[in-house]
Amino acid sequence: MLRGFFTIAKKDLRAFFFSPVFYIVAFLCSMMLSWVFPIQLAQFSEAAKNMMFQQGMPQQQLNIHYGLFLRQLSYLNLMLILIVPALTMRLISEEKKMHTFDLLLTSPVTSVQIVLGKFVAALGAVFGIVLIAYLYCAWTGFFAHFSWPLLNVAFLGLFLVGAVYAAMDLFCSALTESALGSFVMAVILNISIWFVGIGAEVSDSQTLREFFEHVSLNGHLSAFVEGTVRTSALVFLASVMGLFVFLAERVVEANRWR
Amino acid sequence: MIEVRNLTKNYGARRAIDSLDFSVNKGEVVGFLGPNGAGKSTTMKIITGFMAPTSGKALVAGYDVFENPLEVKRRIGYLPEHPPVYGDMFVKEYLEFVANLKGVEKSKISNLVKKAIEKTNLGQVQTRLIQNLSKGFRQRVGIAQALVSDPEVLILDEPTVGLDPKQVAEIRDLIKELRGHHTLILSTHILPEVEATCERIIIINQGKIVAQESLSNISSVNKGSRQITFKVRREIDALITRLSLMDGVLKCFKGNSPGSVVAEISGQDDMVELLAKEVIMSGAGLLEMQSMAQLEDVFIKLTYGSVEQ
Repeated sequence: MLRGFFTIAKKDLRAFFFSPVFYIVAFLCSMMLSWVFPIQLAQFSEAAKNMMFQQGMPQQQLNIHYGLFLRQLSYLNLMLILIVPALTMRLISEEKKMHTFDLLLTSPVTSVQIVLGKFVAALGAVFGIVLIAYLYCAWTGFFAHFSWPLLNVAFLGLFLVGAVYAAMDLFCSALTESALGSFVMAVILNISIWFVGIGAEVSDSQTLREFFEHVSLNGHLSAFVEGTVRTSALVFLASVMGLFVFLAERVVEANRWR
Repeated sequence: MIEVRNLTKNYGARRAIDSLDFSVNKGEVVGFLGPNGAGKSTTMKIITGFMAPTSGKALVAGYDVFENPLEVKRRIGYLPEHPPVYGDMFVKEYLEFVANLKGVEKSKISNLVKKAIEKTNLGQVQTRLIQNLSKGFRQRVGIAQALVSDPEVLILDEPTVGLDPKQVAEIRDLIKELRGHHTLILSTHILPEVEATCERIIIINQGKIVAQESLSNISSVNKGSRQITFKVRREIDALITRLSLMDGVLKCFKGNSPGSVVAEISGQDDMVELLAKEVIMSGAGLLEMQSMAQLEDVFIKLTYGSVEQ
C-alpha cells in the first residue's frame, strides 16, 4: 500500500534534485543571503561592541538570536513565499499538461498516495532551501556563542511555515494545467495567509478575536522563534497542511468524474 | 476478460458514448475502429479506470472498474493517445518507475524491464533522456511502458501514430507476438493495421457500436457486395455499359481518376474472375484492377453512410 506513495515521492524528489530549477533557485537564494547576512552580522557586532552607548536600543536587539538570526528568518520567509510556488508549480499541472497524469491515474495507486507522495517530495525541496539559510547562522557558531536549540526550533518553525506553503501551492498546482497560473495563485495564497490575523485587530467580539489570533500564522511562528514548541501551534500548522493536501487530493480525484 | 455493459458517458451536454455493450474474451485481439471523435479514447479511458462513466459499468477480469479500481489497474497496461513519458527521465529508469508504480514484485522488475526494452527495440536508447528522443522512439517507450508490468490486458490507443513505416511493421509484429499471452484492445483508424493484427473488430461511430464481427465475417456486414476498381486505356463508356449488363454486377460507374471504372458486384472470387475476363475481352486495355479492401469498404459505409463516389 505504501509502495505507490514511496514510488511517487522518490520520483518527484529526484525530479527536484535533478532539475536545474532547484539549483538556480538555491543559487539565487544563497546569493541574496550572502549579500545580506554579512552586512547584518557586521551591524550586529558593531552594536554589540558599543553596547555601552546604545542606551536607547531594546535589550533584545543585543541578543544574536533576535538581532541577527531573526532577520535571517524573516528574509527566508519572504523568499519562501516566492520560491515554494516556483518549486511546486509544476508538480501536478505539468503532469496534466504532459499527459503523464494518465499514467498515474491508470496505475494501481490512490489519489491520496499521489498527492501525499508529491507533498513529501515538495517538503524535501523546501527543506533544502531552509537548510541553505540555516547554514549561514550555523556558521557563526565558529566565533559566537549562542543557544543552538533556540536556533534549531526557530528554523523548525520556519520549515513548518514552508510546509504550509508547500501544501497550499500543491493545491494550486492541482487546479490548473498551466504552471504559470499555478504560480500566481500560489503566491497570492501564500501572501494572503499572513493577512488573516489582521482580523483580530478589527473584530469587537472576544471569541472572534481569539479565533483570529489562533489562525494567525504570525502568532504561531513567533512562538517558535522564541524557542517554544507549542502543541497548539503544531496542531494548527498540521491542520492547515492537512486541509490543503486534502483539497488537492479532492481535485485530483475529481478529474475522474468530469 | 473485459465486459462492457450499457456504458454511457456525457461531457456536459454532449454524449460521447451511448450505451455501449461488448465483451472481449481472454487472449483475444480486438480492433476498436472509428473515425476521429467517435468515442474510442473515451471508452478506453473508462475501461482503464481513468475516468468514470455517466452510467453503465465495465468489468475487467471479473472486477468492476469502479468498485475495485486497484485490482483492475494492476491487470491493465495502457498506452494513451499521448505517450505518458517524463522528459527528464532516462528510458530504463522510467520503465523501472512504471514497474514500481504498477506494483510489480521487486525481484521481477529488472527482468521485465529488460524484456520490455527488447520487445520494443529500445536497447540503443535505454540510457538516454526521454526528452531527447524522437517522436517514434517516445511512442515506443510508451508501448514499453504498457508492457512492462506484464499485464493480462493491454489497451493500446493508436499505437502506431508517429512511427515510420518500418517501425509500424515492427509494432504490428510485436502485437502479433503478444496475441495469446495478453488480451488486447487496439484502437485505431488505420485499417490495414486492424487487418494485419486483429481477430475481431468493433466499429464505433458517434458513440454507438455499428458493427461487431470477427474479421473473417466482415463481408457479411457488407451484405456480400464488394467493389472492384479498374483502370483501362480506352472506351470507358462502352465498358461501363457492357459490365452493367452482366449478371452479378450491381452497379457500374466512372471512378474519380481518369480512365477508372468502379464495379460493385455481389458474390465472391468467382465473380471477380468473370469480371476480369469480361474486361479483357472488351478490348478496353486493362492496366490495373484492384479490389477495395473489404474492411475499408465496410468501415466507410458504416461510418460515413456510403462510399464516396
